[in-house]
Amino acid sequence: MAEPGRAPLVVYVVDDDPSIRDSLALMLGLGGYATRLFADAESFLVAFDAGWSGCVVADLRLPGMSGVELQSRVRSRGSAIPFVIITAHGDVPAARTAFRAQAVDFIEKPFDDAQLRAAIDTAFALEQRRIDAAELRRADVEKLSRLTLREREVLDQAVKGLHAKEIAAVLGISPRTVEVHRTRIMEKLEVRNIAELVRFAVAVER
Amino acid sequence: MKVLRYLRDAAVFAPCYLLLDWVSYIHPLGAFNITPWNPQPALAIAWMLLGGLGHAPAVFLTIILADGVIRNFPAGYGVTALASLALAAGYAAIAWALREHLRPHADLRSLRQLTLFVAVVAAGTVLVAAGFVGVLHAAGALAPGTALSGWLRFWVGDAVGVLVTAPLLLFASDAQRRSELRALARRGETYVQVGLVAATLWLIFAGLGGDPSHHFYLLFLPLIWIAIRSGMAGAIIAIAIVQAGVVLGIHHRALQTLPTIELQALVAALTLTALYLGVTVEERERAAESLKESLRLAAAGEMAGAIAHEVNQPLTALANYGRAGQMLLEAGRHAELAGVIGHMLAEAQRAAEVVRRLRDLFRHGTTRLERVPVAELLEAARRAGTGRLSVAAADDLPDVWVDRLQIELVLRNLVANAAEAAAAHAAGAEVALTAERRDARHLRIVVSDNGPGIGPAEAGRVFEPFISGKPSGMGLGLAVSRAIAEAHGGTLEARPASHGEFHLVLPFHSHG
Repeated sequence: MAEPGRAPLVVYVVDDDPSIRDSLALMLGLGGYATRLFADAESFLVAFDAGWSGCVVADLRLPGMSGVELQSRVRSRGSAIPFVIITAHGDVPAARTAFRAQAVDFIEKPFDDAQLRAAIDTAFALEQRRIDAAELRRADVEKLSRLTLREREVLDQAVKGLHAKEIAAVLGISPRTVEVHRTRIMEKLEVRNIAELVRFAVAVER
Repeated sequence: MKVLRYLRDAAVFAPCYLLLDWVSYIHPLGAFNITPWNPQPALAIAWMLLGGLGHAPAVFLTIILADGVIRNFPAGYGVTALASLALAAGYAAIAWALREHLRPHADLRSLRQLTLFVAVVAAGTVLVAAGFVGVLHAAGALAPGTALSGWLRFWVGDAVGVLVTAPLLLFASDAQRRSELRALARRGETYVQVGLVAATLWLIFAGLGGDPSHHFYLLFLPLIWIAIRSGMAGAIIAIAIVQAGVVLGIHHRALQTLPTIELQALVAALTLTALYLGVTVEERERAAESLKESLRLAAAGEMAGAIAHEVNQPLTALANYGRAGQMLLEAGRHAELAGVIGHMLAEAQRAAEVVRRLRDLFRHGTTRLERVPVAELLEAARRAGTGRLSVAAADDLPDVWVDRLQIELVLRNLVANAAEAAAAHAAGAEVALTAERRDARHLRIVVSDNGPGIGPAEAGRVFEPFISGKPSGMGLGLAVSRAIAEAHGGTLEARPASHGEFHLVLPFHSHG
């Protein structure tokens, strides 16, 4: 369920059966989920934007492209949005393909609404973790950009594990100046000690 | 009762044996039954093969009797008894070996069966000939220097006699093979083939003149045609005609000395060629048939998947709307309920429509009725069954008027269900198929197993659609089986009993 102040998570339903689409939209809407409906994979891909977040609930057998194919097409466009595959056939090979392509769940119709909601919630949790991680990274990058050029040089040497005197020798400045720079860096990056500083730098470089 | 039946069988066997022995007592060596054509051992072997080795004493006595009646004990009583014992023991041994290797169906259905049959007969008759001629030789009954040629003549006579006649007898005793023979008799082509064989025989023995064995090769041509076109049944009939023609030809030209042994060896070669060709043709046909059958089953699986899909779609929407209705109710948004309930009704209607369409499909559409012999339906079910499956049909059942594919599907489905139900039985699953007349117009096929059976309460429930959770989805389940039976104007019922029992009733074919 969407939390205030965040990008809303949407359930994208792709099913060729109008009754299934309509009933899912009604049921999920009443459950507090935002939904968007598509009759086939092609119209989904036309509308798709890599910035979408939430979860795709796609039927396995669609006219034209199948739900599993749609998933791999979305992946190739660089989106990690989670997929839940639903089917009225329940064939094992298709399920295997879906899981290999990292679908969150593979649900047979007719399904229990609790089962579907559990799958969607799992997908949303994954999605939320992904969004949070991305935000954290963005914040860190922003902090790093506040450092001056000299401070970046000192940080690079510190991350290599050099002491103040050694850094001073490498950069041709006095150890005292290095100490001042280091204190400023730690203030700007909001870390309390050298260990945290190194951890921060490594995390951002990733 | 047992004794009476034994005596009755023996009373039929003995005259037949005597008749064959008398007819085939041609070109003997000395006064003994060392002739180039001995069909009577085939009778003895077939009788012991099908009826059991308990008949061996009757065979022994009959052989003595025949020697007395036809040849007036040429070697004296003691030697005749000993020689007859050698024959009876030898034939019993052949029957025993065939019984061991050809069971449960001695109908020469496969290359392997035929090869075993030929090998056992060839080896067995060598020993029998050695025993018989050896006894006569040891008793000094044979002219000096004839023991070896006598042994060869006896062997060829016996081997050809059995190879030609035993398959005929085995076929006559097998219901499936009998129906094949009857089908041959109904075909015009058969009479052309028989005519060609007869004409060729005439050419060889009379038309072309000279030594018949020089032109014998001509017979291979019609025999090859017959074996390829009509399989084993045709081959066996054709060989019997050739043998009869050769014997008649020998009689006809009895005044001249004919190389009868050579002729009989040629008959043996012809027989082996025709039998092997026939069985190969049949095996190929069966392979093609089983391929078609598996394709048919795959189609049934596809169909089951399609049906599941069609029914699951409205059910899913129905469940979703139902859940939405609950939520609206909980939220007190009663005004919006009417619309949701309208959707639910529409979806229920849609599901009902799918089921109705399905029923129509079986009632009209793809159903193609034809006249089918009951034995063929049972045979299809028997071949599809695994494990212990017995099939029995009442005599003279009329043909049924059914869609063969659909009824075979139903029978296979029932047999598979029965085997599964009885799988846990301590002594192993046993399934029995019995076909009988229910009344003047209907056939009843009972499929029973030694499983725990079905209680009265469950007897109706097992037909509820999509109850069976079998992963392989053997066919379409009992629900569709019953729909098929009813589409044929028949019924399918589960009988409450202490063992599993299903009754499938189908109408007989009735035209006019």
